[in-house]
Amino acid sequence: MSSLRTARILASGAALGLAGIAVFGAHAGWKPFWANWILWLLFMLTTGLGCLFIVGLEHVIGAKWSVPVRRVPERLSSLIILMTPVLLIALLSLRHLYPWAHSEMTDRILAGKAAWLNVPFFAIRVLVCLALWLLAYRIFVNGSLQQDQQKNFLFSIRARRLAPLFMAVVGITITVVAFDWISSLDPAWYSDIFGVYLFAGAFLAGLSATTLLLMYMMAKQRLPGVGPDHVFNLGGFMFAFTIFWGYIGFAQFLLMWYANLPEEVLWYKERLQGAWLFIILVTALLHFFVPFLILIPRDAKSNPRRLICVALCILLAHWLDLYWMIMPVWGGNPRCGFLELSFAIFFICLALLWIRRALSRGADMPVGDPFLNEGLEFRL
Amino acid sequence: MKEAPMHNRVFSVLGLFDSAQHLMDAVPFVKSKASGRLEAYTPYPVHGIEKVIQQRKSPLAGMVFIMGAIGAISGLALELWTSGIDYPLTTAAKPFLSWEAFVPIMFEVTVLFACFTAGLGMLLLLNRLPFFRHPMLRTRSMPLITKNKFALAIEADGQLLDVDATVKVLLEAGAESTEVVAEPEVPGLLSPKFFFRAFLSIAIVCITAGYITYWGIKLFPVSVPMRHMLNQPRLGPQQQSSFFKDGFGMRMPVAGTVARGHLPYAIEDQNDAGVLANPLPRTEEVLKKGRQNFSIFCSVCHGILGDGKTSLTAAYGAKPANLDSQTFRDYEDGKIYHVIVAGKNSMPSYAAELTEDERWSVIHYVRALQRAYDAKDEDIPKENPR
Repeated sequence: MSSLRTARILASGAALGLAGIAVFGAHAGWKPFWANWILWLLFMLTTGLGCLFIVGLEHVIGAKWSVPVRRVPERLSSLIILMTPVLLIALLSLRHLYPWAHSEMTDRILAGKAAWLNVPFFAIRVLVCLALWLLAYRIFVNGSLQQDQQKNFLFSIRARRLAPLFMAVVGITITVVAFDWISSLDPAWYSDIFGVYLFAGAFLAGLSATTLLLMYMMAKQRLPGVGPDHVFNLGGFMFAFTIFWGYIGFAQFLLMWYANLPEEVLWYKERLQGAWLFIILVTALLHFFVPFLILIPRDAKSNPRRLICVALCILLAHWLDLYWMIMPVWGGNPRCGFLELSFAIFFICLALLWIRRALSRGADMPVGDPFLNEGLEFRL
Repeated sequence: MKEAPMHNRVFSVLGLFDSAQHLMDAVPFVKSKASGRLEAYTPYPVHGIEKVIQQRKSPLAGMVFIMGAIGAISGLALELWTSGIDYPLTTAAKPFLSWEAFVPIMFEVTVLFACFTAGLGMLLLLNRLPFFRHPMLRTRSMPLITKNKFALAIEADGQLLDVDATVKVLLEAGAESTEVVAEPEVPGLLSPKFFFRAFLSIAIVCITAGYITYWGIKLFPVSVPMRHMLNQPRLGPQQQSSFFKDGFGMRMPVAGTVARGHLPYAIEDQNDAGVLANPLPRTEEVLKKGRQNFSIFCSVCHGILGDGKTSLTAAYGAKPANLDSQTFRDYEDGKIYHVIVAGKNSMPSYAAELTEDERWSVIHYVRALQRAYDAKDEDIPKENPR
């Protein structure tokens, strides 16, 4: 009854957001519309990819503690499917947002990069990446659901064999996403480590989303046997990867700051002045310093309230991080108007609806997994 | 509490239990009745036992955090002081105090301090290692503990332990049997004496090694100190080079070019040089420069007053010109210049020693010497009488 009411509120929220996007988008023009579109696309997509990566990681390292909680990232990684149409629609944005897609190659830098940055090849890359993700989703998530009925080792063996390959696929595709969708907004700029930077953000966002949903499921008593010891490991992961994100982000900045090459520093120059500087400082605070300090004590890593705080912090910071990277391309100061609000309402409501639907799919734990009992018995 | 006398000191009292659950159930009772540090010995790791017997939270986390913070501050202070204040050095055109460049060092020092605190603090301070000949190893219970018994120990921890009362408490708590473990006769290694000896030995070894290395390198120069900065691809003076056809490393100036500050001097006869005018103004700065160069290069023969009287005159039988004489007072500046460049009689050319400006400044100074040699009253400054 109340669950139906929640669904209704979320659906009407999404509809309201969509209407807002239509009204304010028409007023603002194509460029802000597409910039927001890509921002939310990448936010949801990287979160979903991060969750799928967590699933793959478990199969690679043969972790058993995470078997009871694996359904959580599995369900969250269905965000990739939700984002599939959004991603395909985003291909229309190329002409409006990306200089290399509409300028007549008079720029020497653009001409030199034309072999990579051209619309047909870009579309091919998008489709190939998407196909790989959906294939991985099919193998790992659908396979896991089928194992619930089959109750044998076949899926576990197959997943462990394919997961290392999937690690490479994530590494390459997320680098392609970072270079294609974010870095090429400013085609003169380049950074080798940019893919790793986006990966760090994506993995952290995936961990945060997993933690949040896990807390919700545990509060609803839907994961019997999952205790503080399991939660502690997720907290430890978050703790470690906040440092990783800070390390990579700062390493990228430090090298460019030292070398001081015009084609590299201009990207930072326009992002480190005025309100943009404030945004990246807040991002660094929420993405690294606050989670790091909160998660230092041992007990904090299994304390639900602290973990929820940290997870929300990181998700917000991941969004701000993407905002800081994407939004400066259409110039001027950071904007937060009705258009941005509508986008936020629409995408958040849509994602929550989608996750609600995913929560009803299959059992809450991978009941067919032979390692489930071992995982439930996990103690630190 | 009073310090117990050495001979009857007790290290701990053990109570043996037949299962981990019994041991854990007994802990609250023992905790409330007996004083002393609790420790458990089990055949295998028992989950959750550390939470039960722990009397206070381990201070290690706080120590690591504080030392990490101190490390971060030390790293920052080190960088600020060395590259910003004590020896400001421009690196890649960055400001002296650029925090960006300091972050890696801060990070490293933080990690270093935190790791050392965690490792050494845990081993030396909290686990009291090294602890050889642990008294537990010689007890009757130890073989049982490694098999199927679970021991709860109440350690004296440097205090006086009431043995009978403790044994009673353990038996009441459900222990099957108890054992009193005596303090080892050999004092633990972590006495102040041990530390003093250890640090003294380390200091002696360091100082000896330092001296041996220093004198070894000095007396038996088998290995040359690192001089990699000297090994550069450029050519030194007088070196050969197969790069050029003639094999010389040093090159002549390209035909028709003039090096900065080295205008060619074409006058051959001294009498023709009179037309040259002194290009330098007669300022205090020029005169000071002239005095300096005169005293270095000229005064050896011409005398510090320019009168041609020095010790060299007698030693070599030469007769340097008396620059204060009327002949040289009548010389034009250009003629003196010519002598400096070309030399005269036994005086060699000083063209290589003195640059053009230095030559002219010396001439200004010679004029000042001439005027000072028989100064008139009006030459003394009025405002500044001696």
